[in-house]
Amino acid sequence: MDFIAVGFIKAIELLISGDHSTWSAVWATLKVSTCSMAASLLTGLPCGFLIGYYNFKGKKHLRTILDTMLSLPTVFIGLIVYAFITHRGPLGDFGLLFTLTGIGIGQTILAFPIIAAITASIIEGIDEDLKLTLVSLGAGKRNILVTCLWEVRYGILAAAVTAYGRVMTEVGISMMVGGNIKYYTRTITTAIALETSKGMFADGIALGLVLILIAFIVNLSLSVLRKQ
Amino acid sequence: MTQNVPAYHLKKIQHYYGRSKVLDIKDLKIPKGSITGLVGPNGSGKSTLLKLLGFALEPTQGEIFYNGKKEYCFSPSIRSRVTLLTQTPYLLKRSVFENIIYGLKIRNDKKELKNRVKKALLGVGLEYDDFAHRKWHELSGGEAQRVAMAARLILKPEVLLLDEPIASVDTKSARQIRKASINAQKRWGTTLVIASHDLQWLYSVSDTQLSIFNGQIFTSGIENVIPGPFEKASEKIWKKGTGNGQSFFLKAPEKKSDNAVIKKKHISICVEKKPELSTKIPTGNSPTENILSGHVVSMLLEKKSSHIMTIVSVGDLSFTVRLVPDQVSSFGLHPGKEIYLMFSSDHINWI
Repeated sequence: MDFIAVGFIKAIELLISGDHSTWSAVWATLKVSTCSMAASLLTGLPCGFLIGYYNFKGKKHLRTILDTMLSLPTVFIGLIVYAFITHRGPLGDFGLLFTLTGIGIGQTILAFPIIAAITASIIEGIDEDLKLTLVSLGAGKRNILVTCLWEVRYGILAAAVTAYGRVMTEVGISMMVGGNIKYYTRTITTAIALETSKGMFADGIALGLVLILIAFIVNLSLSVLRKQ
Repeated sequence: MTQNVPAYHLKKIQHYYGRSKVLDIKDLKIPKGSITGLVGPNGSGKSTLLKLLGFALEPTQGEIFYNGKKEYCFSPSIRSRVTLLTQTPYLLKRSVFENIIYGLKIRNDKKELKNRVKKALLGVGLEYDDFAHRKWHELSGGEAQRVAMAARLILKPEVLLLDEPIASVDTKSARQIRKASINAQKRWGTTLVIASHDLQWLYSVSDTQLSIFNGQIFTSGIENVIPGPFEKASEKIWKKGTGNGQSFFLKAPEKKSDNAVIKKKHISICVEKKPELSTKIPTGNSPTENILSGHVVSMLLEKKSSHIMTIVSVGDLSFTVRLVPDQVSSFGLHPGKEIYLMFSSDHINWI
């Protein structure tokens, strides 16, 4: 049992000493998860708004597909992205396999349905009087989109936090598409998996602590934003 | 020429929610700069009509002309000119100041915002220093309604549509909202359409009153709608009980109808019941003169015409009779007085 306590102590030492391999994994995780979150927010928010706000033929089917995508296994996404960007795949010429960009594409696919589905549900639940108020104050379609999203910003923040948590903690996509290359595509989660398989619990626990710390900072910042 | 063009002209408007028809208006004109009162029970179609007039809803069928031009929902030319205030307005999750300037901001009009907000708030009886920086959740229901009104008045709208704006606010807020809406009409020539249950207010300010029942409009003013059920007295004659032992007769409906209407102008009154004035059960095709005894419950002055709307309660029903002041004084009418209403069965129409 001692190895757990030793692991915690070593974890703190690794972080304080600025261990290159540890911080490289932290940096790769932050970079790729932030980019994939930005991409999924840019695409997921308007899509979620359109699905939630308008009634159209096939809306129910689209919602079913989107809701099913919420439970996509990360290894399956990894497999599909791998198949597309591998040298024999349709996007093979772009050389995305074993790059952070490749991981980012997979993580965007992972986060997109979370953002879109939760946004659609929130927009569907918007008070009818809000839409009427905006129209009666002269808002055009663009104003309605922006104002509605702003009005439900706390719900959307919650969706973003959920998606960010899922993106940061996934292993399947990063491992399959990124290849877990040290100092290059190794993320916190793939590093933890590797270190644990090697019996290096201290390194694994150190990276786990960083992961929890990042989640804490993100939630703290959002909480401050909400109060403002 | 343009002076004669009405603000609104609705042609053959029908609106459905699912399969249920909620509005059926053949032809309706609302003059520019006028004040129109809209009266009807809950679910009669008032809010739907106001949403159509506010171009917040596309009618299922028919056309709406605004200032002589056919207009549609979200039309940019209309958006900045017509505004609607509902009974429970939505305040955006921001400060009062931000709420009031929202309409100006989307019009890219950012001149002297502070001054304009000050004036708009004063117009509804709220002090800038006390309210401008409050959050949306720091207001009472009446204050929120007044802020919503200020957010519309700051736009100096051509048309202000009010959907029961004072139904759920305190007396002070109601007074301020009434005053602010009339000021808008006086200062900017705003066309007002007001849906309200406050008949006294409507009669005192409106140029015309429209009554709406089951989606149908009566342009002749607030009419007496008689809700069902009715009893079949004979093949050709139906009967309606008033709930206090009295009843009156009307012709059998030609098609399935649940309600009937009798116009104010077809009801006459007397204060003493003469022996020859008693409802006779009709036997043939000739119309019957119905006589009902009731009590005056309220009297409202129609400001524009100086007529007095006398509301008479007869059992479960109430009837409105339009009288000239001389009639009121010669009959010595006052609330509580017993009077007799007389109307022919031929003047009751099914709707």
